[in-house]
Amino acid sequence: MSIWLASNPWLTVLYGVIVLAILAAVAWFTPWSIALFTFREGLRKKTLIGFLILSILVIFGSMFMTAMMYDTGGTVATDVDVKLIKDICITAISIFGVLIAIFISASVVPTEIENKVVYTVLSKPVRRFQYLLGKFVGVQIIVAVNLLLMGVLFSIALYIKEPIFPRMLLYAIFLTYFEFLIVSAFTFAVAAASTSAVLPTIAGLFIYITGNLTQYLESVVNRSEASESAVDKTLGGLAWVLRNTLPDLQYFSLKTQILSLQINDTPKDIQIPNLVVYGILYALAGYIIAYWVFRRKEL
Amino acid sequence: MSVVIETQDLTKVYKGMSKAQDLVALNKLNIQVNEGEIFGYLGPNGSGKTTTIKLLLSLIFPTGGKMKIMGNANITSPEVRKNIGYLPEGAYYPDFLRGEEILSYYGSLYGMRGASLKKRIDEVLEVVGMTRARKRLIRGYSKGMRQRIGLAQALLSDPGILILDEPTTGLDPVARKEIRDLLIQLRDQGKSLLISSHELLEVELISDRVGILFEGVLQTSGTIDELLTSREFSIKAEEAAPEATQKVREAGLITEDAAAGRVSLRVPENMSLYQALDICKSQNMKIVSVSPRRETLEEVFVRVVGSAVSSKEAQRGER
Repeated sequence: MSIWLASNPWLTVLYGVIVLAILAAVAWFTPWSIALFTFREGLRKKTLIGFLILSILVIFGSMFMTAMMYDTGGTVATDVDVKLIKDICITAISIFGVLIAIFISASVVPTEIENKVVYTVLSKPVRRFQYLLGKFVGVQIIVAVNLLLMGVLFSIALYIKEPIFPRMLLYAIFLTYFEFLIVSAFTFAVAAASTSAVLPTIAGLFIYITGNLTQYLESVVNRSEASESAVDKTLGGLAWVLRNTLPDLQYFSLKTQILSLQINDTPKDIQIPNLVVYGILYALAGYIIAYWVFRRKEL
Repeated sequence: MSVVIETQDLTKVYKGMSKAQDLVALNKLNIQVNEGEIFGYLGPNGSGKTTTIKLLLSLIFPTGGKMKIMGNANITSPEVRKNIGYLPEGAYYPDFLRGEEILSYYGSLYGMRGASLKKRIDEVLEVVGMTRARKRLIRGYSKGMRQRIGLAQALLSDPGILILDEPTTGLDPVARKEIRDLLIQLRDQGKSLLISSHELLEVELISDRVGILFEGVLQTSGTIDELLTSREFSIKAEEAAPEATQKVREAGLITEDAAAGRVSLRVPENMSLYQALDICKSQNMKIVSVSPRRETLEEVFVRVVGSAVSSKEAQRGER
């Protein structure tokens, strides 16, 4: 884990101050009407509704699946039953949640350019950075609400099987949001430079996949150092660049702990405030890139 | 009368892969829109009208030249923006919202809130005649109603300047007339309007001044009277026998209408009025009236654009 993610109370305080400053600036400069408009419009996107329905089906489908296993064999132990629900649900939330985050982040700005709504907005006393901030915050509200909804359904599914407070799950949902925030911010940055949602969607998937494969990238770097081949060296160099620039999304995953520990446990060996800062700073970088490309974009 | 919109040598070049592929969308454009007038901005497709509007709104950025709005060169300043209402061509308005909701959204972008916003929404809905449809979803609106809502959002901040891109395109004749009347009413209230359009008759009916753009170059501009009054004359005569009509035609006069001994003749530019009158008298025609001939805007447009095309082809030929 990076040095700046290490446990240090003073660093945590510093990070807290940074987070508060960023949130205050966002709250102050965001045109909330644009954010709420984006939220309302986003909720009507058929793809988003489709993903959400699929995730709900999978979450509740997992309960039926375990029930059927009881009916057919009757030998499945309760902890295995719960573990299966946890495994299916957390995977469903990750996959559908990130697809929603990528799809929404990739489409909000290109869609408004295509249908010329952006013309009527930017001809008013709204600066480009404000417009982008409003769209970005709107996207985050959509992502957060979807995640919350899926989390609540997951909790209900688990509670029915195991009626205890799902503390671990709440932590996992909270950290997953910051993982989605990073993916969303970089997808949004690519979308700000695009005129269609296709390229940013591909870019978002790339960031999500590579961000979850940083350990593999590390091993590519190590192997290239031991190799003499020019191709290996080049691949190693590329892997090194990706390893050191892309966020490590594995930091945000509590899947192993959810599966191995009790659902009412507190996560272990994880600095949540530092991960929050990590997520916010990467998101800020994504937003700055988005603004940088959008500020002189010809519409 | 003060100038509210002014461009000086405004140039926009879209860069291609090479210099030869560069597209000059606007070439040293100089236009002025005066306070309280309707300026009709005409040109064929791709002539640079929308490019000019986008430049004025900073949706795209100039390659060269200057722009001033209300004397202010900082055209993105909030003070300037509050004074501009813009209706884009074929704009989309989210159809899940009601008419008053979309106005509320746009009003909030001006910083309007609460009772003052509600009051202003009531006013603009009244102005565009949409009060009764305010609670209907936009998806149920006709094209004319959407255009009216578009005008309403442009009017929200009570701007001094309205920039309208093809405001009547695609509307039925009744809706066109209503929009036209509305634009005249806004002009009479002291607002300045820059209207880009293909609809020459509409522009002729409502504009005070007109500019004709072709391939990024302003070919001509002036008041409607200046542009439409030609150097030609019309002569109306009676007691014109068919043979006499044939004779004056052979002498170079242009017959515009001839029936029951009455003729309308046009005196071409290369003939003096006195010569024309002598020809008519020599054929024993009784002159009823002589008047300077007024062209239609369509004729002026076709002449100006045709001349620009010819001169461009001649330049190509020389190369």
